[in-house]
Amino acid sequence: MLEISDNPATSANDDPITSDQRQFSAKVNAWMPHEIMLTDAWFPLAHSFAVDKKPVRRAVYSQPFYLWRGSDGQVIAAENHPNDALAGAKSEYTDDSGHYPVLEKYGYVWSWLGKPENAAPEHVPSIPYLPEDGGLPLHMLGTVRFDCCAPLSLENLIDLTHADFIHADVVGDEKMDSETVEVFHDSETITMVRTCVNKSVAPIMKIFGGVRADVQQVRQVIRIYLRSHAAIAYGRFSPGDNVQLFHPCVPETRDRTRLDYAMNTSNVKKTNLFRYMMPKASYKVSRQDSSMTSPQSPRYMRPEKRKDLHSPLDEAGQKYRVLMMALAERQARGDFAYRDNVSLDCSDIIGYDGT
Amino acid sequence: MSEAIWWAVARSEEISAEKPFNVDIGDQPIVLWRDTEGAVRALEDRCPHRRAPLSLGCILGNGAIQCGYHGWTFDGASGQLIDIPNLKSERKYPPVYKAKSFGVHESAGFVRICLDAKAPPPADDGYALPLSGTSTVALEHGQYIAALFDDPSLLISIKGVRFSPYLLAELCEQDGQLVMERSCQWASPHWPAPFTSDFPISLRIATDPVTGESDLTLRDDEFNLLLHATLAPVPGARQVTQVRWRAILSPERPGLAAKIMGVGTPLRVHDHIDGAALRVLKPSASIHADDLREEIAARTDQQDEVA
Repeated sequence: MLEISDNPATSANDDPITSDQRQFSAKVNAWMPHEIMLTDAWFPLAHSFAVDKKPVRRAVYSQPFYLWRGSDGQVIAAENHPNDALAGAKSEYTDDSGHYPVLEKYGYVWSWLGKPENAAPEHVPSIPYLPEDGGLPLHMLGTVRFDCCAPLSLENLIDLTHADFIHADVVGDEKMDSETVEVFHDSETITMVRTCVNKSVAPIMKIFGGVRADVQQVRQVIRIYLRSHAAIAYGRFSPGDNVQLFHPCVPETRDRTRLDYAMNTSNVKKTNLFRYMMPKASYKVSRQDSSMTSPQSPRYMRPEKRKDLHSPLDEAGQKYRVLMMALAERQARGDFAYRDNVSLDCSDIIGYDGT
Repeated sequence: MSEAIWWAVARSEEISAEKPFNVDIGDQPIVLWRDTEGAVRALEDRCPHRRAPLSLGCILGNGAIQCGYHGWTFDGASGQLIDIPNLKSERKYPPVYKAKSFGVHESAGFVRICLDAKAPPPADDGYALPLSGTSTVALEHGQYIAALFDDPSLLISIKGVRFSPYLLAELCEQDGQLVMERSCQWASPHWPAPFTSDFPISLRIATDPVTGESDLTLRDDEFNLLLHATLAPVPGARQVTQVRWRAILSPERPGLAAKIMGVGTPLRVHDHIDGAALRVLKPSASIHADDLREEIAARTDQQDEVA
């Protein structure tokens, strides 16, 4: 079992976010997202409701996962389809019977890609506003895909200024009085908190959410669990209803990303159309994101001499790159340990108080 | 001085102030639009922030182009970054914060781009021929030009006209252009070309040895001009060729067969090539093209040395 060791990242030498600006920039500019393959992690491969007796196929970095339920209702995750007569030799990721570690939590089937003996429930990310036993109504759940590599989808998410342009017709444009961004990180997570004062109201909240004011006070948090490629997107809107989105970007293959989203709108009154429409916004919003990340993806596939330019708003995105690369480097050296506990309840960090 | 290459990448009517427009020159994607004065602007179709295509963005009221991803805004003439809206401050950005800009020249209904932004623009060409179109062809640029020399019927159609396999003049060099003249017949019932003594029409093609931009002149046997066209093939991504063309049908065309040219579309540039026919197309005129290009290039180098 993979122990959670004392956090050596508190020692400045080990924190990959270095104060040496040149070293930091060099790492940011060496970003090759297609090359990153992080293992020893739980991936949310399917909504629980999508897995039944007939095996469904999923993939992480092209590694196949077949998921189904046995007669006792327990989920099984196998490297080969039970009917596959041509099944090849089993990989290092499964036990002797070709099965991956698997568990269910938050309404998802999670499977472990890595050394099976290192799988442990304490490496499942904390998602405060999803019920641990699942059971959210189907209208809050769905699947969308992005035509890009997963780290680009997560980079997209961690800089929310993009929403003011790509998603202006859903979540509102860039007009606001002020915006502050704070970034926190440890070795396994990065958290971005964006506070907007007097932001123009998101159209979807005007049209479906009954918000009549001209402006909203907004606090948006994106928290990414690096190894699992899974993000929490938590938005508090005043006036308006809070948005509680779980946004895992499973790296199916190096150029395609699968999002089995859960948007828990239980906090919205049942008479408010927003409760039913906001989860559906994922279909429009994901197409808008993919329209940008899809042409981006091939442009990051080969090393480029030209460095990306950055603004002060890119702090979170740059740190995301450096943290991902640091994890990849550690794993390349054979160090798969979790130096921070991802399953610790993060309600305080994201500002979730249960409402 | 060796001249910079000005590629005819768009027709004037394709570029507006409403929406950015994307073209390629080889592997270089380019975004085009018109600013508030109607001048065409050209930048690399790549935001230097996160490499998103600028052509997916929008044109602002002040004529600048804004990336659709994070709103980075660029001046059209210089490519300088002039605004990041979410920073909410009037600030100047360092010179390195720019998208690459290119030389632009618009005349005679063509928008020409030079990858060297500092290259002096060519002279104005005159007026825009009234008929025009754009085709994108899955054939590599050099092969496209070779096919134009060896059998234009694979690439274009002229209403009421059939190209013959026979040349009045094979490819030769005139004033730095590659020039040839092909005999043609009317589409109406005619004696088979191999047995024909004198052909009623000829097609003269004069081609730039580097860009492949070609002037096509169709004349009858009394040297009445029937059709004049300019065809501009430009290499694009994945070895595809983007072809812009402009043409004019002569209003006075003696004879019934010539009049029929005006029924429907006089000139069509094909989007799809007959691959089976292309595979077995025997090189004829094109065989000389490479030798001629070498001679022209060698002469230009000599002139550069002397200069």
